This record gives sequence, C-alpha cells and structure tokens, in this order.
Amino acid sequence: MDVNTKKMKKNAFRVTKHRGFTASRIRVPGGYLEAKYLGMIQNIAETYGNGIVNITTRQGFEIPGIKFADMPKVNELIQPIIEGLDINQEVLGQGYTASGTRNVTACVGNNVCPYACYNTSLFAKKIEKAIFPNDLYFKVALTGCPNDCAKVRMHDFGIMGMTLPQYDKERCVNCGACVKACTKKSVSALATVNCKVVRDAHKCIGCGECVLNCPTGAWTRSHEKYFRLTIFGRTGKKNPRLGEDFIKWADEASIIKIICNTYDYVKNYIDPLAPGGKEHIGYIVDRTGFEEFKKWALKDVQFPANAEINTPIYWKGIKY
Amino acid sequence: MQSNEYLPFLSEIKAVIKHTDIEYTFRLTYEGNVKPGQFFEVSIPKYGEAPISVSGIGSGTVDLTIRRVGKVTNEIFERYVGDKLFMRGPYGNGFDIDSYKEKELVVIAGGTGLSPVKGIVDYFCSHSQDTKGMTLIAGFKTPKDILFREEFVHWQQKMNVILTVDSAENDTTCKVGLVTEYIPQLHLNNVNEAAAIVVGPPMMMKFTTQGLLKRGFHEENIWISHERKMCCGIGKCGHCKIDDTYVCLDGPVFNFVKGRQLLD
Amino acid sequence: MGYCLDQAGFNQILNEWSKEYFVYAPKLFKDGGSFSDTDRIRYGEIHTVEEIVFDRKSDYSYKEILLPLSQTLFFFTDDMVKEADLPKKGAVILLRSCDLHAVKRLDEIYLQNGCEDYYYKRLRDRVKFILIGCQHSFENCFCVDMGTNRIDNYDAYIEMKNGEIYVDNHNDVWKPLFTTYSRRTPEVIPAYATENKTHIHIPDGITPDIAHSKIWDEYDSRCINCGRCNFVCPTCTCFTMQDIFYVDNGKVGERRRVWASCMVDGFTDVAGGGCYRKKNGQRMRFKVLHKVYDYKKRNGYHMCVGCGRCDDICPEYISFSNSINKLDAAIKEVSINAVK
Repeated sequence: MDVNTKKMKKNAFRVTKHRGFTASRIRVPGGYLEAKYLGMIQNIAETYGNGIVNITTRQGFEIPGIKFADMPKVNELIQPIIEGLDINQEVLGQGYTASGTRNVTACVGNNVCPYACYNTSLFAKKIEKAIFPNDLYFKVALTGCPNDCAKVRMHDFGIMGMTLPQYDKERCVNCGACVKACTKKSVSALATVNCKVVRDAHKCIGCGECVLNCPTGAWTRSHEKYFRLTIFGRTGKKNPRLGEDFIKWADEASIIKIICNTYDYVKNYIDPLAPGGKEHIGYIVDRTGFEEFKKWALKDVQFPANAEINTPIYWKGIKY
Repeated sequence: MQSNEYLPFLSEIKAVIKHTDIEYTFRLTYEGNVKPGQFFEVSIPKYGEAPISVSGIGSGTVDLTIRRVGKVTNEIFERYVGDKLFMRGPYGNGFDIDSYKEKELVVIAGGTGLSPVKGIVDYFCSHSQDTKGMTLIAGFKTPKDILFREEFVHWQQKMNVILTVDSAENDTTCKVGLVTEYIPQLHLNNVNEAAAIVVGPPMMMKFTTQGLLKRGFHEENIWISHERKMCCGIGKCGHCKIDDTYVCLDGPVFNFVKGRQLLD
Repeated sequence: MGYCLDQAGFNQILNEWSKEYFVYAPKLFKDGGSFSDTDRIRYGEIHTVEEIVFDRKSDYSYKEILLPLSQTLFFFTDDMVKEADLPKKGAVILLRSCDLHAVKRLDEIYLQNGCEDYYYKRLRDRVKFILIGCQHSFENCFCVDMGTNRIDNYDAYIEMKNGEIYVDNHNDVWKPLFTTYSRRTPEVIPAYATENKTHIHIPDGITPDIAHSKIWDEYDSRCINCGRCNFVCPTCTCFTMQDIFYVDNGKVGERRRVWASCMVDGFTDVAGGGCYRKKNGQRMRFKVLHKVYDYKKRNGYHMCVGCGRCDDICPEYISFSNSINKLDAAIKEVSINAVK
C-alpha cells in the first residue's frame, strides 16, 4: 500500500493505530448544524466505517474504521455536509482542503442560553470563513459570556462575549437585585450610592448579570456586541497554560483581523524544523518576544473607542 | 390646587431628654390637634423619613421618642435644642381618651411601646377623677433600657405601676419577669367593664392579649397599636397594608376585635 | 363618532397633539430585552403611528407615565423645601381595555384612599386616554373572566386595519382635528377580546384564614422575590420614599419616591430589623389576596384586571392565574382543618 500520509492528514483523514484504516473528521464550526446532516454522517459510518461515530472534543465528528481505499468515496459523501455547513473548499468533491487549523468551537450561545451575550454559532462561522482552510495549527473557541463554558482560555484565541451595561437611572427603583447578583455571581462592580447604582467600569467584565436580574429594565444591553479576547492558552506536553487577556471590549472585526494577522506572524516566525509543521503559537511568542507578536497582531486593527489593550502579557502555567 | 401632603414643615427642637444611651425624647414645636398613638413622619437628616409615634403632648409641643436603631433613626441624635427638623403629620387615628374614661384601665407596654401610650398614662395621671382605677405594666429588657424613669416616679404616686425587666443583672430595684406574669393577679372590681391597652413587640402583644382574654377581659375592651413600615402615612405607599386595612389610615390603634384579625 | 384616516393623516394629528401633550404608546425598544438579541415592548413617547406596536402586548404597562418609576417630589435644604416641577405637557396614553380598567384602580388609591395624592392628581388631570382595540386575546390574558375586556370611557378608540387607522372619538375638543384629517367617517365599534384561553375562578368565601393554607408553601422555594410581577402589573401602586443628599453639598438634596414591590426584600422591614413577611410564600399570598380578595373588601371590586403580564414575565414560570385557581381548594383545606 502506498499512501501519502501528509496529504491524507491534510485532507482530514487520520492515521490510526489500525493499519490501513483511517478516520474521517467532519468539521462543524461552533458545533452548530442542522439535524439532517446527522443522517449523512450515519450513512458514511455504516457504509464505509465500522458503524461508530465519535463526537470529538472540538465539536466535530470522527468516523473511524474507514479503509484507505474508500477515502475518495467518503469525500464524495461528505461533500453535501461541507457545502451545507458552508466550509471553504479549494477543490469540489475532494473533501477538506486542510486540517491544521482546527474546527472553531463555541458554546451554545444566545440561540439558546440566557447568559450568552451574542450568537456564538454565527461568529464561529464568520471566523471559520476567514481562517479556513489553513495548515497552520490554530485553535479558536468562542463562549457566550465570562462563565466560559467553552473553556476558551485553553485555546490560542479565546473569545468571550460581553455586553456594555446601559443604566437608565430613571427606571431604577433601588431593589438591589443587580448589586446582589454582581456581588454574589460576578465581580462586585456595582455599588449603591444615593439610592442609585454606580458601575465600576474598570472592574466590570460585561457579563450582563445586572441586566438579567433587573426587574424594571433599568439595566439593558448595549446595541453593540463586545468581546474579551484571550490569547495563547493551550494544553500540551511542555507548558500547558491558560490564555491571558489581550483585548477587553473588542468587536468582531478587530478580533478577526487580529487572528488573520497572527497567521502572517506565524508564517514568518514558525520554526521551519517544527515536527509536522506544527508549533504552538505561544512557543513562537516566547521566542520572538511579546512586542514583536503585538506589532504583527495589531497591524491595521481598528478598535472600538472603549477597547482596552492589555500589554505586555506574561503567561504562567505549568512548566515541565 | 389641593394641598401637598408630602411637603414637610419645619419644627424647632425645644428640649432633648435622654432616657438611655439609645433612646432620646425630642420635644418639638407643633400647633394643632394631636392624640396619643398618632405618629409623625420625621425627616431624619442624612437619611430619610421615619414614622415616630407621639409620646407626649404639651401646649405647642409634641414629644417624639426615638430609638437609635438601624440607620434611619441615627442621625437625629446629633440634633440639639434650637435645631430644626422637617416633619409632617400627625397621621393615624390615635387613642381616643374618652373610650377609657370612667373605667378601670390597664395599660401594658413593652419597650418603646410605652411611647404611644404615654399620653394616655399622662392624662389619667393628671385627671385621676376620670378613671375608676389605672394600672400600668411596663416591661423592658434590662434596667438600662427603661424609658421615662422620672415619669415613673411621678406615676407611681397616682396609679398602680408595675415596672418589670426581662433580666435585672445586678439591679435590685426592678421586678424581674415578663409583663404577662402580672395579668392573672391584676386586681379589678369588674373585669367585664375594664379596658386594656397593649403596645409592644409582636410576640409580647400576642401573649399579653391572650393573657387578658384569659383574665376575663372582653375583646372589644382591648386596644392595641400596630407598628408597621408606614412610609407615606397617607394610605398610598402600601407598605403598612394588612388584609384590607391600612395601618396608617385605619390605625395604628385598633380595637382588638379588628386588630386580632390582622395577619401580615 | 367614527373616522378613517391614512397613516399620514394620523401623524398630522399626532403632530398637533404634541404641542400640548406627550403621546405615549407601547413601542419596541430594540435590544431592550433581558437576553441578548431580544427586544422589549414598553411605553415610550411616540411621534408617528408607525412606532406604535399594535400586535403584541407590552411587557410593562402604561402606569409608569402616571406613576414614574422614580419621581422627585421636592428638593430641600436645611430649612427650605421646593416642590418638583410638573412635566411641561400633559399626556395622551394609548392603552388596551384591561389597562384603562386599571386606571380606575390607580385612581382609587391615589385620589380616594385617604387624601388625594398631590403628584398623581396633577398628572392625572392632564391625561387623555386612547383605547387600543384587542382583535383577539394574547397569551395569559384573562380579561374576560375579570370583566375588563370592554370599556367605553375613553377619549378616543384606535384600531389599525389594512394600513388605515379607524378612530371612534369621544372627545369633542378633538372633533375638528379628526374631521380635518380623516378620509371617511365610517361607524367604528371598538374591538375587544371575547374569549381567553386562560380562565380563572375567584371563589366566594375567602377569609383571612386562607393564609394558613398549604398552597402558599410551594412559592417559598419557587419564587425568587424579584418583583417583576409587581413592576409589570398595571394595578400595583406601592412606592418607597428615598432621601438623596447631594454628594457635593450634604445639606441639600431631594426626596423621591420609587416603585416598591411587596415581593422584594425590605418591603415590610421596620426600624430595628423586624420583617413582617419573610417567606416568599407569605409574600405571594399577600399579593394574590390583595389582587382578588382584600382590595375588593375595601373598594367593592377586584384589583386584578387580568392582563396576564405577571404570568408573561415571571422568570420562574409561576402563574398568577393558576394561583387564583388554587384558592377553591385552599378554602376547603382551611375549613376542614378548622373543624378538626
């Protein structure tokens, strides 16, 4: 059997422990898909796989037990899934164009969750459109609010929804619900002064608990959606670390631009000898220094007026 | 346009009488009719309004006895003779002296509950010909908490006074025990005609009225005064409503026939 | 008399009214909901008919116009008070039948119960009401059972049909306006809901003893005492006074009143730390009985107007109408226990 494993992996087929058998990886940006695709996945698993489907940790599907020979047939069958989920593709009918940049994950977001500050699925799709296909090893995750159910701080780019609370003091009856919620569930950014509420803008993390708990609508959400961008969290063997805050009160456009800029930065600085062409961005930043990264990342980025940039950043984590 | 009942008037402090560390009586100028048991909404500097019941009525003055509890009634303790306070009122129905004339009357008060009934006690003290026998049972937590000590000396000469404390510590001048303990031994010529007034904390009122009924008092001869959060004093704000009754309008003084039905 | 106007014609009238009145109607506040990407319908000033939301129930009622959520009563110094100014204009309020019935309840408390309320009275005297028709019932409405689905003491009635506005005018002062801007003068009969999905039965024979029923206990844990039910209610009238001392000059300040809720902590607190209704079940009982029992004892008719907003908004899905429907069983329960 003569198979180019590099090409095969790039095409989103895994080299497995079972010789001659592969697993097809279906990417589902934001883990959001119409139920009809599940039937197609089932069909592939039962026709060419071993009848099993794995739900991956990155919200995709992995269909194991596929013979190497069947990869073209599988690529035919996953074509409607690729098109239906609007995944960028270079050659129609030939499966995924790349696999380095991983599926963009997201929590359920404001399609369902009351805490979410934005539509995580939509933003995940937008990011996917902007960055895929790419062979570089990037992990991006989105979460609706600072609860961070999607564990975005374990990713290269973590996007956390925020709302800028708007206070109409004429609607405030001093019931105390917001202050109590902020104190008990969030960061104690609210205080009662002269029977009205004062927000400490510096402390506020934009979680929206004040809005959720306000019974009169004195607190409302900003029309604009805001995000906290955390960078270069990761798991891994050498130095697992949590992503650190980079931008507070960023918007969609600035985040997409920063991620795209980072691809340029990585292309320029990645260790050419990195095994499998795979190097955690964090290690690259360790090597170039944060300022160099920042220079590349913020190139031509337009931030909202209230955006706060945290610089320089030092990462902690466990070092082995 | 009609008058604006929310606008307070200024009243001058004529005297400050300190009873305990935390309880002072302020004598304030007030021209107009007022009854014991009625209350004023007093504007407390740096805080807000608090309903304070009338503890004495002079000519051109009213006494308001204020207890230093919570934030509401703290700032007022920095006021002195000659200072002025905003207040409005009087509100509520108050005690009707005529209902207790020519009767044996027992007044039972717990703690600051003595304030609203003090006017009654004062009246029958100075008009002993109007009563067929007057008893005052007043209970306090400790000797330190006793209000109107000077008045007690005076009252003791004119009526049957039982002054009791929950715990006397080292003080031997006070009786020790709950006010309810003195009800069974009350000497009355005709309990069927006798009247009683009970004011104090909710639990004290509950057990005291039970004791009075057991002693043979008729329900319709017992009066109580309810303390509630009276915020506007004029039947609007709703804080003091119990069932269909607004304590500020229909009370705070209730005949027990009505008062016993008021369940928060 | 009935009139039919196009939208431009009605907007002319709104423009005329705006010289003398603020015109308030249910309108959509984009992104104004609690959750992200949700809107809020509540009362706000409008300038065109297009801003009026006709096809949905407002989350909050008209009452905030007559009783602002936060209202300054007067300003004070150490020895002077100065009454707060009156709004510059009167108000025209567009509202549904249930809400117009609710105005009577506000009037009862603020004009009758004890003395007249100065601040309410001075606004109320300058308010005109325009009835919005209900072609059908909304979710959780029970106006038919409350008898509040119809009303005729409006200044005008308004209905939107096929892009045209139909008006029945009762206010003689407005007659020339409507005559000028109308296209036709058809007969206009107010539409009203004749049937609700939600039904309630308020039993006779409620006594204060019903407080001892077990039906209230479940609310101890279910209710989160947020007060939304009170704040959206068109008939809740309670408030709390606040004194504000300005930060830069502590001797000067203002006294306000703000809406209060009998469900929220602090409502029955008295100086010294006493609280008369601690449990949420007790608060629920107090509220329910006020709406369908003790208010009537005092004033001769029920307070609740069946708008169902409390059911619409409760984040814990507690149904007020369902709690009314438990009263029958509660009466039986306490009477059996009384016999025991």
